[in-house]
Amino acid sequence: MSEEQDPEALVSLLGREQAPLLARRFYGEGTPSPITASLAQVPELLEVALPFVGAALGPAGLDERTKEIAILRTSALLECRYCVQTHTAVALDVGLSTGEVRALRGEGDLDEAFSDARERVMIAWIDAVALGRGPVAPELATRASEALEEHELVELTLAVSATLMLNRYCTALDLPTGADTLARLAAGGFA
Amino acid sequence: MTALAEAIAAEKIGGRVWFYSNYHCNLQCSYCLTESAPLVKRRELGREAILERAREASALGFTGYGVTGGEPFILDYMPDLVAELGRELPTIVLSNATLFNERRLREIEPLADLPVHIQISLDHPDPVENDEMRGPENFRKVVEAIPKLVERGIGVRIATTLDDPDAADPEEQERLCELHRSMGIPDEDHVVRPVINRGRAVSNEMGVLAGFEQLEPELTLTADGAFYSPFAPTVRGGRLDTDLLVSRTTSPLSAAAGSLVRIADDLPAGHDASIGIR
Repeated sequence: MSEEQDPEALVSLLGREQAPLLARRFYGEGTPSPITASLAQVPELLEVALPFVGAALGPAGLDERTKEIAILRTSALLECRYCVQTHTAVALDVGLSTGEVRALRGEGDLDEAFSDARERVMIAWIDAVALGRGPVAPELATRASEALEEHELVELTLAVSATLMLNRYCTALDLPTGADTLARLAAGGFA
Repeated sequence: MTALAEAIAAEKIGGRVWFYSNYHCNLQCSYCLTESAPLVKRRELGREAILERAREASALGFTGYGVTGGEPFILDYMPDLVAELGRELPTIVLSNATLFNERRLREIEPLADLPVHIQISLDHPDPVENDEMRGPENFRKVVEAIPKLVERGIGVRIATTLDDPDAADPEEQERLCELHRSMGIPDEDHVVRPVINRGRAVSNEMGVLAGFEQLEPELTLTADGAFYSPFAPTVRGGRLDTDLLVSRTTSPLSAAAGSLVRIADDLPAGHDASIGIR
């Protein structure tokens, strides 16, 4: 990200030069993500939000593949351009196939892409949590509790919930996708 | 003793909490940190907010208050506010002293009985040179105001801000000192400090660079949040600088003060906090 601010941007993405003192440790050596560079406007929130997001969306009891399925699928359902583009690249990095990624993005058949019964239940759960407006249907809740340990269900649900928060954040603030990510997606035939 | 009071006693952070009362000003000085001018965004902190934070600061163990801007005395409530602050802790107010008409002078007379000082900017012993940086008629208004304040028993300090203090003409400096002595201001109440290369001084290519390692940590509250030093909440090109922002949260004050202490704890050994508003 350039140190120069886009005058058309809804909020400034703080470059390294303008990063508040307590935000600097989140900038690392490379280019900060737009989420980091925007949250830096409120460093006391950045200090709690980024570790939370990292913990909620990173691997714990569930592995990276499962987490990326949850993040990408939720982001596609919420139509978050930034999150879909960014996590398409991440999903490919952690080993999801092009067909699996396309299916999660709503550009292919999920049943064809995912043959594992447990993953299919997880995806159904993700869809219900991401799009639902009330309790999850009892039949799906039963299937999920049979396929997943309780702690896995908690972790998966929190991953979807945290992604929903980020989806709305990134979409409302119209955060820009990095040029490197866009170039990579274009090379792979993704929008 | 609170943890914060211990940090102040150990000189990890300064004992004075600063309030940026507002950012607008009747002057438009060439080196202004905040690009203050009559029509800029006011960023007014507010009388009640200042008093509430001041009460918290006193309870936490801060030992003094500072008020700066902008020009604080452009706000009608400033004389009363400063008196209230001064009744709690020693207080210093930075002012250009160009708004002290008879009515204002009457309003600030109660400050004479309080541990309050008004720190007034006067940069040069000659009107032309002084007014080059600070605006027309500034010198005349200042040298008229200072004796009136002194006569009323109000504490006055003089601050001289120079592009390069090391290159200052000794003869000019001596004439400036003769001038402030003639107005009743002793040498110990005259400070000379460099222009800091932030705000309008950047546009005018003036002053010395100062990162956070060169500045003393002093909790500084503005309408935009808590900052590391009174040199920190600067404005450049109309945009507030955030590089020395501590937090947007200013209430409870303990949260912002705690964050400042955390930052101060991480200061590298041997850092040189040699530039401070006095």
